[in-house]
Amino acid sequence: MSIRQRIEQQPSFVLHSYPWRETSLIVEMLSRDHGRVAMVAKGARRPMSALRGVLMAFQPLRVDWSGGGEVKTLVRAEWQGGQPLLQGRALLCGYYLNELLVRLSAREDPHPALFEAYAAALAELARARSPSPVLRRFELALLRELGYGIGLDVDADSGEPVDAGAHYLYIIEKGPVAAGADAADARAVSGRTLLDMARGEFERAETLQQSRDLLRRLIHHYLGGQPLESRRVLKEFQEL
Amino acid sequence: MSPSALDELIEALRCLPGVGPRSAHRMAYHLLQRDQPGAGRLARALERALAALRHCERCNTFSEETVCRRCSDPQRDAALLCVVEMPADLAMIEQTHAYSGLYYVLMGRLSPLDGMGPRELRLDKLLARATDGRVREVILATNFTNEGEATAHMISELLVPRGLKVSRLSRGVPVGGELEHTDSGTIAQALVERRSL
Repeated sequence: MSIRQRIEQQPSFVLHSYPWRETSLIVEMLSRDHGRVAMVAKGARRPMSALRGVLMAFQPLRVDWSGGGEVKTLVRAEWQGGQPLLQGRALLCGYYLNELLVRLSAREDPHPALFEAYAAALAELARARSPSPVLRRFELALLRELGYGIGLDVDADSGEPVDAGAHYLYIIEKGPVAAGADAADARAVSGRTLLDMARGEFERAETLQQSRDLLRRLIHHYLGGQPLESRRVLKEFQEL
Repeated sequence: MSPSALDELIEALRCLPGVGPRSAHRMAYHLLQRDQPGAGRLARALERALAALRHCERCNTFSEETVCRRCSDPQRDAALLCVVEMPADLAMIEQTHAYSGLYYVLMGRLSPLDGMGPRELRLDKLLARATDGRVREVILATNFTNEGEATAHMISELLVPRGLKVSRLSRGVPVGGELEHTDSGTIAQALVERRSL
């Protein structure tokens, strides 16, 4: 794309940023209508730069940018407010969400529904006591929005609706199939879990535990087996 | 001088943070053309620093001795330990003359997306330092960025269960600051963290 365009007042979040040249920053932004966009924030690392306190991850922004290349130029960023800063464990979870988005989503592939799911997850993380249901809901929304077609409520072999009382094995790229004699397999999930997931309900203890393992397997698969840094950091921290 | 020596110098200067190819050129020409004695001094100082400096065993900042002078000063209150990200932060706190305890310098901050975790930060070393039996309170003075907050959170989770008092630098409207000229993010957080009188 070589058309120079200017985008104005685009709802966005900073996913990640790193230093560029003497005083600038490259920011990976998740925007509502343009997907993940990389842009240069010129002079953002100068001591008195007004952008310093604004380009913070996890805060709702409105952003103007211009340019037609792969890396745009940030023109303006305004803090929207209304959301407390993430703290403690919620903050570490936020990094996990950001890493998932940076690693799994393609640049400039717009997913307004994914943007809304991310904004909702951050708002919940800022308030909720337990982050696990929030993370599971977002992981599933992410995989589905990115087009990985995660089937949950239909047996992929028989075409029958999933039975809450039965057990299933989840075959990646295919879907759940009746576990039959493998019901005791550690990877088997209950039909109830699959139906809960399909409805986006993650409050039940068994659903929470089984969906965590299943979503982890799926994410690992779509990441091509590459480990996630934010998960490693959390694990190392728990081992200290 | 052969061009390759010049290229090597320019390339070497680029290892400095925030120095791109253009600045590296400017610095190299300046050192060679305008300030050769300065260049010699820089070369010797670098060599000496590399040979002489190490991390202080107690506060982790750079020191020529095993334990730096600040850490071995008996006037300092060994019950207070202030954790900062970088030596520059330590220098700022020292400038206030409002603190008489000791320090621990992390030499970085947690940043999961850049692969900076507890292992890279050597949090085990801080844990050993803070649990020496003399420290009573640990003051977390990491930056008020997301990374600084995440670092402070991890350290507090590590130290509170070990019976230490852990406090965090407070934040809000700057001294002499007027609300009218303060950014809205700071005011919003000051409201969230308001205290009763």
